[in-house]
Amino acid sequence: MKELKILAILAIIVIITYLGIEPYAKHVMHGTIPPPDFSYLDLPKFKLAGDPSKGRELFKVNCASCHSLKADGIEAGMDKKTAELSFHVVPPDLSNIAAIVEEHFLANFIRDPQNATKNPKFAMPPMGYLTNDQIGDIIAYLKSTAKKELTGKEILHDACTRCHSVKYQKIPVLTSPEHLKTYLGKIPPDLSLMGRAKEHEYLITFINNPQVLLPGTTMPRLGLTQEATEKVVAYLEQIADPHKEEREKIGMWVLIYMLIGVFLTYAWKKKIWKNIH
Amino acid sequence: MRFIDWLDERLAIRQLIKVMMTEYYVPKNINFLWSFGVLIVLMLVILIISGVFLLMYYKPDANLAFDSVNKTIMMDVAYGWIFRHVHAVGASIMFLLLYVHMARGIYYGSFKPPRELVWLTGYVLFVLMSATAFTGYLLPWGQMSYWAAQTITTLFEKIPFIGPDLVIWIRGHFIVEDPTLTRFFALHVVFLPLLLIIVTAVHLYAVRIVGSNNEDGEPIPKEEKKKKGIPFWPVFMSKEFFVMAVFLTFFFFLVFFHYEFAMDPINFIPADKLQTPPHIYPEWYFLAYYEVLRGFFFSQNLGLIAFVLSMFIAMFLPWLDRSPIVSGKHRPLFQIAFWIFVFDFVFLTILGKLPPTGLYAWLGLIGSIIFFAFFFSLPIISRIERKQLENGGKK
Ligand code: HEC
Ligand code: HEC
Ligand code: HEM
Repeated sequence: MKELKILAILAIIVIITYLGIEPYAKHVMHGTIPPPDFSYLDLPKFKLAGDPSKGRELFKVNCASCHSLKADGIEAGMDKKTAELSFHVVPPDLSNIAAIVEEHFLANFIRDPQNATKNPKFAMPPMGYLTNDQIGDIIAYLKSTAKKELTGKEILHDACTRCHSVKYQKIPVLTSPEHLKTYLGKIPPDLSLMGRAKEHEYLITFINNPQVLLPGTTMPRLGLTQEATEKVVAYLEQIADPHKEEREKIGMWVLIYMLIGVFLTYAWKKKIWKNIH
Repeated sequence: MRFIDWLDERLAIRQLIKVMMTEYYVPKNINFLWSFGVLIVLMLVILIISGVFLLMYYKPDANLAFDSVNKTIMMDVAYGWIFRHVHAVGASIMFLLLYVHMARGIYYGSFKPPRELVWLTGYVLFVLMSATAFTGYLLPWGQMSYWAAQTITTLFEKIPFIGPDLVIWIRGHFIVEDPTLTRFFALHVVFLPLLLIIVTAVHLYAVRIVGSNNEDGEPIPKEEKKKKGIPFWPVFMSKEFFVMAVFLTFFFFLVFFHYEFAMDPINFIPADKLQTPPHIYPEWYFLAYYEVLRGFFFSQNLGLIAFVLSMFIAMFLPWLDRSPIVSGKHRPLFQIAFWIFVFDFVFLTILGKLPPTGLYAWLGLIGSIIFFAFFFSLPIISRIERKQLENGGKK
């Protein structure tokens, strides 16, 4: 039929345009996003086995001057103000860190944070003097205090909020912005809408290794496990688009309603046009 | 006395219904492309209604605008997100409808006598709609809003003598800033919609006076209207309602399930005047003109002239194409030119979003030249057709 032919031509033109300006242009502008690497095997491997109770003592001596571990009642040796003045960033609480950061990464991180995070200005000093066994002990201790099941929000709180705010969820940034600017060269962006501003794959790969997508950026590689990364990203996407479920449900009903309209109007048109020609 | 009689005595309502509906005849040999005008009216109404609801929560202030849209409207107000989606997708689809409406007019020669004023008022509507879309795009105050406005307003700098002052006058500041937002807001919500409504009324009035064109471009004298036509009500409108229902189904599918094309992800990052995004591009419906601007990559001034010309040249179609044959259906030569033009427009639209480097820059130049070649080929095609007709007449 003639009208269907016109509709088909119209549809083809619209589809070609769409494919050109959306998928194709996106592909040209952003390239393909490299997959994340959650094994962190660019860092040297060493054996990890340890004793949590020895680890607790080592933690108190080596880490507690800067970090708290509230799950075990350990308070940080310095307050927020002093920490900001010394590092321009507030060191995170480490109660659950072993459930967030990949074990092998963590071991390398403690020994040489600048190398592990790929940020030469990373604020935590390296601790090359710790032996492999001592690092193993500390990690065993951190694992003993960590909760098994963390939500995306909890992970974000422990891993991101020292640098990022999430305004729309009323999650403030822990370090004051002026200090972050001194430390990182810029104020890290608010994360409220990141789940909509960036594609899923982009977020996963970026959090896994920021340097892959923004070479030279000061956001450190944080060594999150695959599970933790996916949970954080799922959380970011959920808060950026809180009405997704509602939208899809209402959308279904509206479409059903419209389709009924299509049938009714078609029937009416048929009736009126019966006697034409 | 029945209410209708009461009204009839005071407003001559029966006469009005006759003139406007039951005894207004539309040609028989038209296809659903003639429904697009009414679809555009529908879209305009949808945009105005959704816009009014957005206006209830929107805050035209550089410090508040982004949050009022992305937090208050999108997250907090009950069903606020529906209105934003409808308004954003609606603006985008409005241009799809306008382009089809215009292409229909070009293909079937609807811009030719006696419909020049229908075409001209229509073109004014297109320009007004473009201005409305451009000013509206700044309002969410996102990164792409900001940088698109910054880029396009900078273009005016090139105008001789008054350029630099003009730019500052448009922006109300040296760069795009709060004063720019508030003046774009005033234009977008009051002045431009008002003009749109007024000019739409004139456009519709003009269509009523000269009557609709048809597939064969055949003029229909008054006496034959009844025989060769169908009454606007209920015959034409019964089909129109069906087209509307199909269109709305498609529209709401986009609104709920496929809106990304109308809401750029980058615009979910607040405007930052210190950080230029790596790629700046306008919404899809301006990409073709934007590509003409960039197409003449060796000379910025030439690009600017070409850009302005590309936006307005179609307005002069009634004087470029003076072929005595009205409808493209009966013009093989014109058909070739028309389809090349359509694909060139699509081609330019796609190129407009790609980085203007290497091969793409050259393709942009070629595409821009073909764009203008179409318009300059029309007088030639007209002359050939006139000759053919005269020779044919002699035989
Ligand atoms: C001199 C102070 C200081 C000491 C001592 C210190 N840290 Fe840190 N640590 C920091 C600071 C500051 C940061 C945050 C830096 C940043 O995010 O840029 C940090 C961050 C971390 C992180 C988060 C890294 C990530 O991937 O999210 C872990 C884990 C960590 N430290 C573990 C430890 C352990 C274990 C010890 C003891 C062996 C320790 N730190 C000792 C200052 C310190
Ligand atoms: C030590 C501070 C720091 C921490 C901790 C941190 N970030 Fe960042 N983040 C930054 C900085 C700085 C930037 C800005 C990067 C740039 O533009 O160069 C950034 C940018 C981002 C971006 C935007 C990327 C882009 O393409 O613009 C995202 C998304 C992000 N961070 C997510 C996270 C998440 C999720 C976490 C927690 C798992 C996190 N960040 C932890 C400092 C940090
Ligand atoms: C807000 C924008 C517009 C509205 C509301 C509108 C509305 C309409 C309506 C209702 C009709 C009659 C039905 C039809 O033939 O489709 C019509 C016809 C027409 N319009 Fe528009 N229009 C708009 C913009 C334009 C533009 C941008 C152009 C071209 C530059 C244009 C050119 C025409 C022409 C040439 C006709 C007569 C078509 C024919 O008889 O074949 N209009 N318009």
